[in-house]
Amino acid sequence: MDFICNFPFFSILLSLFSGTICSILPGKAAKIVNRVVIITVGILSGILLVYLLDSGESFVYWMGHFPAPWGNEIRAGVLEAGMALFFCIIMYLSMAGGAHKLFDEVEESKHNLYYILINLLLSSLLALVYTNDMFTAYVFVEINTISACGLIMIRQVGRTIEAAVRYMIMSLLGSGLLLFGLCIMYDLTGHLLMSNIKESVSLLIQNGEYQIPLIVSIALMCVGLCIKSALFPFHAWLPDAYGYSTVSSAAILSSLVSKGYIFLLIKIIYRVIGFDIFNSTRIIDVLFVFGLMGMIFGSLSAIKEGDIRRMIAFSSVAQIGYIYMGFGMGTQAGMVASVFHILSHAATKSLLFIAAIGLTEVSGGSRKFIDLTGAGYRNKWAGVAFTAGSLSMVGVPLFSGFISKLLFAQAAVQVEGKMLAALIVLGISTVLNAIYFMKTVIRIYTAAGDTPYPCITFKDMKVHAVVLILFVILNVLLGVSSQPIVNMIEQGLAMFA
Amino acid sequence: MIICVILIPLLAGILVPLLPFRKRCHKEIFLEGAVILNSILVWYLLLHHSESTFLLAHFTGDLNISFRVDGMSMVFAGLVSGLWPLATLYAFEYMTKEDHENTFFLFYTITYGVTLGIAFAANLLTMYFFYELLTLVTVPLVMHTLTREAILASRKYLYYSLGGAAFAFIGLIMIIVYGTTTDFILGGVLDPLKIGDRTNVLLLIYVMAFMGFGVKAAVCPFNSWLPQAGVAPTPVTALLHAVAVVKSGAFAIIRLTYYSFGTDFLQGTWAQTTVMIVVMFTIVYGCSRALKETHIKRRLAYSTISNLSYILFGAVIMTPLGLTGAITHLAFHAVMKISSFFCAGAIMHQTDKRYVHELNGMGYKMPWVFGIFTISSLALMGVPGLAGFISKWNLAGAAVDSKNPLAYAGIACLLISALLTAIYMLSIVVRAFFPGRDFDDGPIQNVHDPNWKMLLPLMVFTVFIILFGVHSQPIVDFFYDVATGVY
Amino acid sequence: MYLILLPILFPILAGFCLLAYRKDPGRKLLTITTGICLVITGALVVVALMGTKQGLTLFHLTKKLPIYFNIDKISVIFSLLTVIVFLCAGFFSFVYMKHEQKEKRYYGYYLMAFGVLNALCFAGNLITFYLFFELLTLSSFPLVLHTGSKEAVMAGLKYLFYSLCGAYASLFGIYFLYHNCETLTFTAGGVLQISPASREGSFFLLIAFVMILGFGVKAGMFPMHAWLPTAHPAAPAPASAVLSAVIVKAGVLALIRVIYFIFGTGFLQGSWVQTAWLTLTLVTIFMGSMLAYREPVLKKRLAYSTVSQLYYILFGLAVMNEEAFTGSLLHVLAHGFIKSTLFLTAGAIIYTTGKTRVDELRGIGKKMPFTMWCYTIVSLGLIGIPPTGGFVSKWYLAMGGLTGDIGIFRYLGAAVLLVSALLTAGYLLPLTIQGFFPGADYDDTACRKQEPARLMTIPILCLTILSVLVGLFPNIITNYLTDFVSTLL
Repeated sequence: MDFICNFPFFSILLSLFSGTICSILPGKAAKIVNRVVIITVGILSGILLVYLLDSGESFVYWMGHFPAPWGNEIRAGVLEAGMALFFCIIMYLSMAGGAHKLFDEVEESKHNLYYILINLLLSSLLALVYTNDMFTAYVFVEINTISACGLIMIRQVGRTIEAAVRYMIMSLLGSGLLLFGLCIMYDLTGHLLMSNIKESVSLLIQNGEYQIPLIVSIALMCVGLCIKSALFPFHAWLPDAYGYSTVSSAAILSSLVSKGYIFLLIKIIYRVIGFDIFNSTRIIDVLFVFGLMGMIFGSLSAIKEGDIRRMIAFSSVAQIGYIYMGFGMGTQAGMVASVFHILSHAATKSLLFIAAIGLTEVSGGSRKFIDLTGAGYRNKWAGVAFTAGSLSMVGVPLFSGFISKLLFAQAAVQVEGKMLAALIVLGISTVLNAIYFMKTVIRIYTAAGDTPYPCITFKDMKVHAVVLILFVILNVLLGVSSQPIVNMIEQGLAMFA
Repeated sequence: MIICVILIPLLAGILVPLLPFRKRCHKEIFLEGAVILNSILVWYLLLHHSESTFLLAHFTGDLNISFRVDGMSMVFAGLVSGLWPLATLYAFEYMTKEDHENTFFLFYTITYGVTLGIAFAANLLTMYFFYELLTLVTVPLVMHTLTREAILASRKYLYYSLGGAAFAFIGLIMIIVYGTTTDFILGGVLDPLKIGDRTNVLLLIYVMAFMGFGVKAAVCPFNSWLPQAGVAPTPVTALLHAVAVVKSGAFAIIRLTYYSFGTDFLQGTWAQTTVMIVVMFTIVYGCSRALKETHIKRRLAYSTISNLSYILFGAVIMTPLGLTGAITHLAFHAVMKISSFFCAGAIMHQTDKRYVHELNGMGYKMPWVFGIFTISSLALMGVPGLAGFISKWNLAGAAVDSKNPLAYAGIACLLISALLTAIYMLSIVVRAFFPGRDFDDGPIQNVHDPNWKMLLPLMVFTVFIILFGVHSQPIVDFFYDVATGVY
Repeated sequence: MYLILLPILFPILAGFCLLAYRKDPGRKLLTITTGICLVITGALVVVALMGTKQGLTLFHLTKKLPIYFNIDKISVIFSLLTVIVFLCAGFFSFVYMKHEQKEKRYYGYYLMAFGVLNALCFAGNLITFYLFFELLTLSSFPLVLHTGSKEAVMAGLKYLFYSLCGAYASLFGIYFLYHNCETLTFTAGGVLQISPASREGSFFLLIAFVMILGFGVKAGMFPMHAWLPTAHPAAPAPASAVLSAVIVKAGVLALIRVIYFIFGTGFLQGSWVQTAWLTLTLVTIFMGSMLAYREPVLKKRLAYSTVSQLYYILFGLAVMNEEAFTGSLLHVLAHGFIKSTLFLTAGAIIYTTGKTRVDELRGIGKKMPFTMWCYTIVSLGLIGIPPTGGFVSKWYLAMGGLTGDIGIFRYLGAAVLLVSALLTAGYLLPLTIQGFFPGADYDDTACRKQEPARLMTIPILCLTILSVLVGLFPNIITNYLTDFVSTLL
C-alpha cells in the first residue's frame, strides 16, 4: 500500500484537529490555519486524484488496520478524490471571497469559533465523501448538521437564529429518518460496512425475502437525505438559512453542504443498495417527480422573491431538483449528468452568492432589488461575475450550466417514458431561470440616476475581485473542457460498483 | 479566415471605448473602416469559398464549434455584410442625438460578428451558441436609453429569447441523439435506424424547436417582445429587429427544417400542418396588429412580425421552391424593411415625431424620406416592379406548386396580409402627402430632409428595391441553386 | 416597335415631373403645359395604334414573367375611349379646377393615370395587366381625395382599399393560373387547358369566380360596390367623369381579358360560375338603379347609375355569346361618353351654382339651357331611347341575352334590363323636368343665363355628339368587331 493511500485519512484528521486547535487561537491566526488546512487538504486530494487516475482502481483503507466490523473503513476512488478536491477549491474561494465581510457580520470574539466550524464542516464533508461505513457516515452527518447550524447562527441577528432553529429541526428530522433507515438496514443485513450490506441486500433480493422492510429502509434513507439536501417540498428551511447567514456560510452551505448529502446518497445508491436494485424500486420515480416539481416551484418562488440572496437561495431548490431528476432517470447517463451538475451548481451558486455580496455592498447593504439598481456599474467586477453566473444558470453555452443541461437532456432522451416530461420541464425551467436571473442582471445594469452609494474600484476589493474572476474561470473551464471531467465522473461511477 | 470575420467586429467593438479618439469623426472613420473591411472580407470569403470546415474548439464528445461556408450562409452573410456598413453610416448620424454612444457602438459592432457566426456555423451546436450570444449582445442595445420602458422591453426580450432557445435546445439534443451528425446537410441528418417508432415524439420535438427558434422570428404567440423592443435606437430596430436578430430566427428555422430534421421526414406530417397554421395565423395577426398601432416604429415592428412569417411560410412548405421563396423574402424583406425603418428613424431624428397622426403634411417637408418610404411601402405591399412582388410571387408559386391545400389557404393569408399592409403603410403615406384641406404647415416649417449620411443608405436601399423588382432573375436563380444544394 | 411605349411613358413621366417640380409655375403656364401634354399623349396613342404591328416584350420580371405589350381590337376600343374622355375632361377641368386647391398635384396624377390606363389597354399579358391595374389604383386615388375634405380623404382611402382588395383577390387567381398555364399572354379563346369537369377543373372554377369578384371590385360589382358611390362624388367633377367613364372600365377590361383571353369561354360556359356571375350582375343592375332612384345628391345619383350601367356591360360579358359581347363593347363606348357627359354637366352645375342636390335645381334649365340640353340628350341615351347610343347597345345586350344558352336568365335578363331602363328614366329625367318646367310658382325673374365658360361647354358638347354618333352609326363598330368577336367564342 502506497503512502498516498493515507491521504484521505490524513485530510479528515487534519481538518478535524485543526478545528480543535483553532479554538485556542486568536481570530487572525485561526484564519491562517483554516486557509492552510483547506489548501493542504486540497493538495492532498489533488495528488490522490492523480494517483487514482493513474492506477485506475479504487482502494479501501482500514483505519488502524483493523478489519471490519471492529475497524473503520475508508474508501477512495476517482470520484471521491475529485469531489474532495473540488470541495476544497470551492470552500477556499468562498472563504476568501467572503472574508472581508466577516468583520461586519460576526463579532470579533467569535471569529475563531467561525473557523472552528468551517474546519469541522470540512472534515465532516470529507468524511462523508470518503467513508465506507454507514455508521461513520451517520456520525459525520450529525457533525455536519451541527457545524452548519453554527455557521448559520453565528451572525447573531434575530432572523438567523430563527433560521438556524428551523434548519436544525428539519435537519434533525432528516438525520432521524436516515438513522431509522440505517437501523432497519442493519437489522436486515447485520452489517454496517457498505460493501457487506450490498452483498446481503443482493442476496435478500435474490431470495425475495424482506422486500417491504428493505424498500422502507431505502425510502427512509432517501427521504432523510432529501430533507437535508432541500429537495422540494422539504426546502422550507433553505431560503432563510442561506439568505441570512454570512456570505461565506451561504456560499458554502448551498454549494457544499447540501452536495455532501447528495454525494452520500449517490454512495448509498451505488455502494449500499446497488444501482440496479435501486432503479427497480419505485423510489426513483418519486425522486424524478419531486425533482421536476422542485425545478419549477423553486424557480417560481425565486421569481416572486424581492431579496437577491433569498432569490439565489430559492434557485438552489430548483437546481437540486435538476440533480434529483437525474437520479430519477435511473440511467448511468442521468447519474453522470447529476454528478456533473453537483460540480457545476456548486461552482455557480457560490459565485452568485459572493458576487451578490459585492453588489449589496455598494447598495448600502440592502438586498432589495430596488436598491440594487445600477449596482453593476458601481461594482463592475461583481456585476460581471454575477452576469456570468446568471448566464451559466440559464444555460448559455461556454458556461458550465450549459453542459449540465446538455447532459441532462441527452440522458433524458434515452429514457423512453420520462423523456418528454423531463425535456419539457427542462425547457420551462430554463425559461423561469432566465426570468429571475436576467431580471436581476438587467436591474443591476439599469442606470440608477443619483444614488448615495459609492463606486468601488478594483483597488478597494482586490481579493474579492480575484476570487470572482477565479470563480468565473472555473465556470468557463467546466463549460468549455467538460469532456475530461465527464470522463472522470464516468470512471469514478464505474469504480463505485 | 472565417474566424477573422467574426473576430474583427468583436475587436473593433471592444476597442471603441478603449481607444482615445480625439474627435468624433475619427471614431466614425475607425468604425466604418472596420465594418467595411470586414464586409469586404466576407464577400471575398463568399466568392472564394471552399468546402472545408474550420474547426475552432471541441465541446464534449463529438460536439464542436466549427464554421463552414455553404449556400445558406452565403445568402445570410452576404445580406448582413451588405447592410451593415450602410446601417453603421446611418447610425453615426442618428446617434448624435443619443447618449453614451460608445456602449452603443461597442455592442452594435460586436453584433455584426455574432451574426456572421450564426451565418457561418457549420453545425447546430455552433449555431445555437452564437444564437444565444446574439441575444446577450443585443440586450444592451435594447436597453440603451435606460428608460423604464427600455428596461421592461429588454427584460421581455431576454426572457422570450432565452426561453425560446431553451426549447430550441431540446431540438438540438434530438439531433445529437437521433442524427448521424450535428452538421448541416441539406436533406437532414436524422438516422432512420435510431428513430425506430419514435416518429411522433420527434415531430413533437420539431414543433417545439420550431417554436423555440420561432421566438426570435416573432412567431405568434411569442411575438410581443418585438414591438416593445422598438424603444431601442432606430439603427438597432432597423438592422437588428428587422434583419439580423429576427432573420437569425428564421435562418435557424430553415437550418433546423432543411438541414437537420430534413424535409423528407417532416413533409406531410401533422408537424408540418401545425407549424404552417401557426405561421399563417401570425401573418394575418401581425398585420392586423400593425393596423391598430399608431406608433410608427411599433407599426413597422408588427409588420415585421407578419413578414417574418412569410419567410417561415415559405420554409414550412418544405420544397426547394418553398425554400427559394423563403430565402428570397429573407433577403428582399430585409432591404425593404430596413429602408422603411430608416425612414421612420429619419423622421424621429429630424422632428421627434413618433406617432402616425403627427405626420400630417410631412411629405412636402421631407420629400426624399417620404418618397423613399412610399417606395418601400409599395414594395412591402407587393406592387409589381418592386422587390416585394417577386418574393411574394415566389412564395405563392411554391405554395401552388406544393399541391398542399393548406398552402393554398396560406396564399390567401399572404394576400389578406398584403391588403392590410397596404392599409397600414399607405395610410402613413396618405397622411404625409395629403394632409387635408385645412392643414396648417406652420409648426413644421423648419423640418427638412436629413443629411447625406442618412440619405445615402436610404437611396442605396431604394435602388436595390427597384433593381430586385425589375431584374430579379439572376439572384432568384442563385437562391434556387442554394435551395437545391448546388452551393 | 417601341412606339407603343410612348403613350405610356410620356404622360407618366410628364405627370411625375409635374409632381416633382417644387415651385408653383402659375396657373396659366400649368394649364397650358398640361393641355399640351394631354394633346401630345392623345396623338401618341393614335400614332401607336396606327403604327404598331406586333407585340413588344420589354423585359422579364422573372424567367416566365415578361412585361409584354400588344394591341388588339379590344385595346383599340378602350384606348380610344380613354383618350377622348381624358382629353375632354382634361380641358373641362382647366376651368373647373379654378375653385380647387393644389392644381399641380391634380394634373400630375391626372396625367399619370392617363398613361397607366393606356398601358392597361396595351397590356399583352396578365402580369403586365396586373402591374398596371395596381398602378392605376395608386395613381387614381389621389384624384379622389383631391379636395382634401375629411369625406374625400376617407373616400379616397376606401377606394384604395377596395381596389387593392380586388386586385389581391385576382392575384390569388393569377398565382394558380401561372402554374397551370403555358403562358399568360392574352390569347383569343383562352390559354387554360383544363377540363372543367376534372377535380382540378372544379378548383379552377372557384379561382375564376374569385378573379371575377376581384376584378369586379373595380367595376363596382355587388357586394363590393360600396366604394363607388362614396368615391365618385367625392372627387372633383372632371375626375369623377374620368373615374366613372373610364377607370371603372378598367375592371370591365380586366374581366374581358381574364374570361375571354385566359380562361376561355368554353371553360366557363354553363358552369355554376356563369350562373353566379349572371345573378350578381342582374342583382347589381337592379340594385344600382334602385339606389340611384332614391338618391337626392346629383353626383351620388350618377355614381349609383354607373354601378347599374356597368352591369349591363358585365351582363353582356357573362352571357358569353357574340351579340351580347358586341353589345357590351358598344355599351362600354356609349356609357363612357354618356356618363362622362353627365358628370361634366353635373360639374358645370356645381361650378356655376354650387348646388349639389337635385331638389335644389329647380329651374336650372332656364339658367343653363345648353348644359341641360346636353344632359337631357345623353339621359335619353342612357335610358335607351333610339337613336342614341344606349339603345343600340341595349338592343344587342337583350338580343344576346335572349338567344344565349343561359336558362332562366334568358328572360330574367331582358326583364331586368327593361325595369332598369324605366328606373333610369325615373332617376335621370326629374332633373330635366324640374329644370325646364319648374312649375307655376317658380320665380322667373330671378334667373338669368349663367352658361359656363367655353372650355367647359365644348367638351360637354363633343361628348354628347359622340354619344349620339355611337347610336347613329353603330355599324362601323360592329363591323369592325365581327370577325374578332367570333374568334373569341
